Amino acid sequence: MPHFIAISGPSGSGKTTWISQFLKDQSTPQFYVCPGLGEISMDLARIGYRFPWVQVVAEAQLRAVLADLPDQATVYFEWGFHLDLGSPFLAGLGCERVAVLPPDLTESDWHTWADRVVAGNAVAAPANGHLPEVWCTPLTGQVFDPPSLEVLLLEVTGGAYGQVCRLKGIFELPNGRAFYVDFVEGLPGMEYTELNLPPWLAGRPSRFSGIEVTGWGLEQQAIAQTLLDSGLSDAALSQYHQHF
Amino acid sequence: MKLAVISCIHGNYEALNAVLSDIDTHRADQIYCLGDLAGYGPHPNAVVELVRSLDIPTCQGCWDEDIVEGLNACECSYPSQLAEKRGHLAHEWTNRAIHPEVRKYLATLPMTLRQDNLCFVHGSPNSQHEYLLPSMDGFAALERVLSAEADVLFCGHTHVPYLRELDNGTLSVKVQQPGQGETQHQFTAPLKRIVNAGSVGEPRHGRPNATYVLYDTDSAQVTLREVPYDYAKTCAAIIEQGLPPIFAWRLARGMEFAERADDPGHVCER
Ligand SMILES: [Zn+2]
Ligand SMILES: [Zn+2]
Repeated sequence: MPHFIAISGPSGSGKTTWISQFLKDQSTPQFYVCPGLGEISMDLARIGYRFPWVQVVAEAQLRAVLADLPDQATVYFEWGFHLDLGSPFLAGLGCERVAVLPPDLTESDWHTWADRVVAGNAVAAPANGHLPEVWCTPLTGQVFDPPSLEVLLLEVTGGAYGQVCRLKGIFELPNGRAFYVDFVEGLPGMEYTELNLPPWLAGRPSRFSGIEVTGWGLEQQAIAQTLLDSGLSDAALSQYHQHF
Repeated sequence: MKLAVISCIHGNYEALNAVLSDIDTHRADQIYCLGDLAGYGPHPNAVVELVRSLDIPTCQGCWDEDIVEGLNACECSYPSQLAEKRGHLAHEWTNRAIHPEVRKYLATLPMTLRQDNLCFVHGSPNSQHEYLLPSMDGFAALERVLSAEADVLFCGHTHVPYLRELDNGTLSVKVQQPGQGETQHQFTAPLKRIVNAGSVGEPRHGRPNATYVLYDTDSAQVTLREVPYDYAKTCAAIIEQGLPPIFAWRLARGMEFAERADDPGHVCER
């Protein structure tokens, strides 16, 4: 019988980090599902880049994959804060339910829902009835001017375009490398992780990159414009590529 | 004699007003302005009119020059593509807003001003666009002061005020003459100082407060002043005038609109 595990918790509590510790194991087939964001999921892309042996499942293929699972498979469902905990889909699978929660949160819908509570990051629990919005956009093919990207990330996470509690992004740089960037409000600093991918040094990368911003009152157009203004032109990019 | 040195007002009328009142309470005998009257901020004309009405001797700043001559900066003025795009937006806006007689006035501004052993420039004696960063190599910094033939060089342009004393002004020169051994000559330059006046209208020291400098010509004492002002008014005007709203966000946090080049060894080429 395949094993199903659903993981939920507030934004930034450490769900993906908790799952990642198990994905290192290559002895049995592992599947990772992150429903709700369609094809543009930073978590899906990052897990795919970091653990190439894990099968990441986009929503569109979910049914087909579930119908044909090997017996020893483990399937991780990252159940975002914006998804219904009472989903009949989850109930039907007979999932093990794990909540990754800030240590000082003692009472919540997640507590009632979970079989097991794991202590995660000390992020602020969301104010009741005031869930943040999630805005995401693919950036595949965009290559960023590094100092512009730095300014952009500082401004977006600093609240220049609405209050942001979480930012995840996969960004391509002109040296051919791709970075995963992770910001959680209340946690110190921003995390930059170089993705273990072959450097892309000819033309625009066709592998996935993108950004996902979670917060309140997000000025999506202004963020999109700043992203656009920070991307390198074809001429600037080929100049960089001649250097490397 | 007490001097007040202001720089980089950048169309921020509120900040200029607050600084002028602060100068008033300190009873300065003379005000010098190191330029950048226009650029980024919403009130370039009003700022120029106020500076002119008070007869404040003023050098030409990098923005003043660009408004007169068209965008002409070295690439170091824009450390990122984003900063460059924003800089161009600000330039176009200012270029449209500026009155013809204000443009004419900016064209008449000198590169350098002097009073006795003091020299006043916007960026450096070489160029309005060159940054004299506090981290600049000591030898190069000393060279700039010496080239100005001054004991104290007042500059702006970096938007962060500082005082730098170049007291080990020892220059060693090795001379090799034919038929003789190497001889070493040493020259000791007396204490030289660089005083950066910071910025009235676009501070980038992490707080929104305006900065400027007081200088006592008798005691040679330098006082860096930080003056709070109603920056929310300037922020509102930035948005009202159709300048990029991000300028208001950055102004309120004492963040530069366009970060400066961070390579202290960079030499401007235009
Ligand atoms: Zn300036
Ligand atoms: Zn300047």
